[in-house]
Amino acid sequence: MGELIGTKSLTKRFGGLVAVNEVNFQVVEGQVAGVIGPNGSGKTTLFNLLSGFFLPDEGKVYFAGQDITQMSSHRRVAMGMVRTFQLVSVFSSLTAWENLVLANIRFKKEEHSLNNFYFRPAHKKENLEICRHALNEVGLEKKAGVKTSELSYGDKRMLELAMALSLRPKLLLLDEPLSGLSDHEIADVIALLHQVKKDFAVVIIEHKISKIVDLVGRLSVMNEGRVICEGSPSEVLEDPKVRECYWGKEEKNCST
Amino acid sequence: MLYTIFYGFSIGAILYFVSIGLSLTFGTMRVVNFAHTLTYSIGVYVLITFIPWLQGNFIPAAMIAILAVVPISYLIERFIIRRLYGESLDYTFIATFAVTLIGVDTIKMIWGVNPLPFSPPMSTYIDFWGMTFPLYRIIIFGIAIALFLGLELFFRKTIVGKIVVAALDDKDGVRSLGINVDKYFSIMFMLGSALAALGGVLYAPISAVQPYMGLSILLLAFAVVIVGGMGNLRGTFISAFALGMVMALTARYWSQGAETMVFIVMAIVLCFRPIDV
Repeated sequence: MGELIGTKSLTKRFGGLVAVNEVNFQVVEGQVAGVIGPNGSGKTTLFNLLSGFFLPDEGKVYFAGQDITQMSSHRRVAMGMVRTFQLVSVFSSLTAWENLVLANIRFKKEEHSLNNFYFRPAHKKENLEICRHALNEVGLEKKAGVKTSELSYGDKRMLELAMALSLRPKLLLLDEPLSGLSDHEIADVIALLHQVKKDFAVVIIEHKISKIVDLVGRLSVMNEGRVICEGSPSEVLEDPKVRECYWGKEEKNCST
Repeated sequence: MLYTIFYGFSIGAILYFVSIGLSLTFGTMRVVNFAHTLTYSIGVYVLITFIPWLQGNFIPAAMIAILAVVPISYLIERFIIRRLYGESLDYTFIATFAVTLIGVDTIKMIWGVNPLPFSPPMSTYIDFWGMTFPLYRIIIFGIAIALFLGLELFFRKTIVGKIVVAALDDKDGVRSLGINVDKYFSIMFMLGSALAALGGVLYAPISAVQPYMGLSILLLAFAVVIVGGMGNLRGTFISAFALGMVMALTARYWSQGAETMVFIVMAIVLCFRPIDV
């Protein structure tokens, strides 16, 4: 299995704060990796650097063998890198299936000439079929015509995942996909991820570690901009450095 | 009184043409463009230059004027506006206001400082309810309605329209779908600038043509966009006509106060508007 995405000494500063500090991070094809760490440890900044929303101050990012460090974010999506956001990013002024139309534009555009594309009506039948299928996959087919602002947060998250899957990712970067969800909704998302993980590589940032322990093959722990520990979930969660950054130094006279 | 209301509609129409671009630019790019009405004034001066060459034919001269501002707006967007994404208001103001000042002085260099006379392309009057209304102003209003309907259709039905609506909501969300949002923003910017030129070209015959004309309407356009909501296109339509009516009604009783009243209304709206988080 070849390396799909990798970084070399990736560094990003915001004024005096080093948000990501010489990080070397790799994911191979087909791998499901988790990234955990306390708030402010640099996890989302790492995602922003990988997906091109920030450009690094130092270091490099490689994807499928290419140096993409300076590549714009929309071209990275075209290469197969898809990300979601901590706060669900679906478009509240559009209906569920219109959101999916937007997710499919990239592929439709290749099929049509320039003039045709710009003024193409959004409600064409062919778009409807593709979107219906995508909504079916996440159980939202009955809510296709509902305006996104009226969907529950859990449904919005599923819609965002449906959009991400429509983009035909080779690598899926999920930033805290479970935040704000009820237990029932979390179970739905985890079930979906178990189903699709065989199709591509996935990296998940999460705080709800217990929920993703069965899903991921490898955990990386970040603290203060660095990766302090990496390995299988059981190894990592036993590691004293990891326990320290979450729960502080163990008291000498406390029993474990 | 009926005349006053009628004039209010035609002023509102002009305000609408000019404010659309401003609202779109702020809504999508989050850049407050103090150079927006440069294309408004340049459009007028190009129109006046071409009219004698075209034997006084207004419509072709108007079209040339509007097309002439497109490359100018492209240059402004490409080299100035694009650099201002995410910048503080201070830098944005300095940069775009500088463009306006350069533009005004260029106009003065080419066309001179004195106001230019320009008469309406038609002096037909329509009789209605025993009163006569200038056809020209009716046409202006008609164009505004047609534009509003056209934009509604564009944003609701076409794919590009959907992209812009989504980008007004969440720009990063659209980027993460692999869509080059910046390209669409450029197109919207040029459209907005062309519409400002349209406003200028239509208003020129019934207003004063002088190098600073862009500046006075710029402030009014800002008032319209602030009252209507930045990036809210329907709101811009309503507030343009509402403020146009305010101007017309104020002018009837206190002619110097027409523009002042617009800003008073804007201030009142700002005081009472619930703050959007």
